[in-house]
Amino acid sequence: MANSSAPRLATALGKIFAVTVILIWSIGPIALIFVASLTHERDIFAAARTAWRPTFENFIMLWRKWGDFFAGLTNSLIIAAGATLLAVAVSTLAGFGYSRWRSRFLSGSAFALIALRLLPPIVTTLPLFPVVNALRLNDTHAVLIILYAAFFVSLGTMVMRTFIDQIPRELDEAAAMDGATQFQILRKVILPLCGQGMVAVAIFVIVFAWNEFLFAFIFTTKWAKTAPLVMSEMIGSLDGVEWGVLFAATITQLLPVLLFVILSQRHLIEGLTAGATKG
Amino acid sequence: MSAISGAVSDNRRALPFVAPALILIGAVILLPAFYVLYLSFNESTFGRAPTFVGFANYARILADPYFWRALLNTAVVVLIVVHVELALALGMALLFASGLPFRKWLIAAVLAPYAVSEVGAVVMWRTIFDPDAGVMTRLLESLGLPTLEWSVWPSHGLALVAILSIWLHLPFTFIILYAARLGLPAEIYEAARIDGAGPLQIFRRVTFPLLIPAMLVAMLFRYIFAFRLFSEVWLLTQGGPARTTEVVAVYLYLEAFRYNNFGVATATGWLMVLASLLLASFYLRRIYKEMFARGE
Repeated sequence: MANSSAPRLATALGKIFAVTVILIWSIGPIALIFVASLTHERDIFAAARTAWRPTFENFIMLWRKWGDFFAGLTNSLIIAAGATLLAVAVSTLAGFGYSRWRSRFLSGSAFALIALRLLPPIVTTLPLFPVVNALRLNDTHAVLIILYAAFFVSLGTMVMRTFIDQIPRELDEAAAMDGATQFQILRKVILPLCGQGMVAVAIFVIVFAWNEFLFAFIFTTKWAKTAPLVMSEMIGSLDGVEWGVLFAATITQLLPVLLFVILSQRHLIEGLTAGATKG
Repeated sequence: MSAISGAVSDNRRALPFVAPALILIGAVILLPAFYVLYLSFNESTFGRAPTFVGFANYARILADPYFWRALLNTAVVVLIVVHVELALALGMALLFASGLPFRKWLIAAVLAPYAVSEVGAVVMWRTIFDPDAGVMTRLLESLGLPTLEWSVWPSHGLALVAILSIWLHLPFTFIILYAARLGLPAEIYEAARIDGAGPLQIFRRVTFPLLIPAMLVAMLFRYIFAFRLFSEVWLLTQGGPARTTEVVAVYLYLEAFRYNNFGVATATGWLMVLASLLLASFYLRRIYKEMFARGE
């Protein structure tokens, strides 16, 4: 068959071209903003860039003028950590329950978990708004932690159930024979073996909570503002657009989670496929 | 032990484990959804007692040209985004499955946009298509092509929203299709090659039909999630100029928080819920059947 070298060369060139296009598309915009964040404000949009001398000027300006942004990063960190702990704990418990027992009620409620996840978040925020106000939870970390966790419990439960399903039930039974309660079984037998699933769920929640905009926009105004919200205010308030500072903020907010996603990509992929195709 | 008492004790044992999840979802999603339904039949504003008005809110929405404009915008953007994304993801999945050097690094690069917030993505794509100095604007100009005047023309604004959306969500669709493609058994391909099938035939007769279930899953997920599109539009155009780039979620937000019209906003919300469920019903039915088959 196609053993001559010409078609092979053509295929190779085609692949190189395709990969180049994919790379430019995927990381081009990120690289562009990264370079711009390290460029003098006045040179960013200069038509011809003679020599690019990296500068941290924009980051320094960001630090000096936008204390709000760093408060936002702290809030994002607290909220992401809280939401992750809550979502992983609740999903692991539920994943164990749904993996080990069967009944009409359980299948029905598992189905409800998935179905409810399909409701548009903006819909449920409307009635929550007055409730959150009445409970004086408005503009607190707690409200975002609870909301973010709730929106990931369905996917988290499905992922955890898939992972726990793979742990042989004989292990549970052996522990039960030794007199362990169900909670002890979960803690001593299941938990050490389903770490991978918990990591996968944690990655989803962290990335989501770190980047989320809509809930933060509706439920926070001052004290619990997250970094994306402060960035959106920077976009809005830029009369004489301080692009350099905005780029510096974008990169500062992006870098930690980008590194995180790259380092944990294997778990992310496993979690995505377990959650999407089996649940 | 009879089947019924077995199920009852199963329930009792499982309940402590599943209860936290059910309470969380119930309190944050289910109860509010019903309360939204109740509010949608009422005239209500923030901080005032609602009065029952039947379907008046729905009638008002359906008579509002801005709603129809928003619905049309949403539909167009969703259709473009989901299908372009699916086609790109399929091509990329096949390319990656055909064997590439540095595959791990390339996948990391493809996943990168997944880490970017909607706000970050808006900053990036706004800069690229900046009307005066954006890289893309200048490239298009130097090629003598028309540029994207997204802050002037509604269709251009929505096009930028679509590009941005595809960029942000392509990693998700790609991973689903890539995993599905890797899951196809190699023997099928060997058999097809032995039968003398060319690459195009293999794609049409083997790969494509076998990937259809995964494509449906990816498509339904993306339909439902794309339908709630809010941040990209809000951050780029706020629905302007003159409410021409509004999407349904932006319409809802404006009704609720700018015009203080909770009744109309909640009715819009329920129209969104119905549309989402309609889109998902086929997929939900499949899950339901699977679960009950396993549950009995």
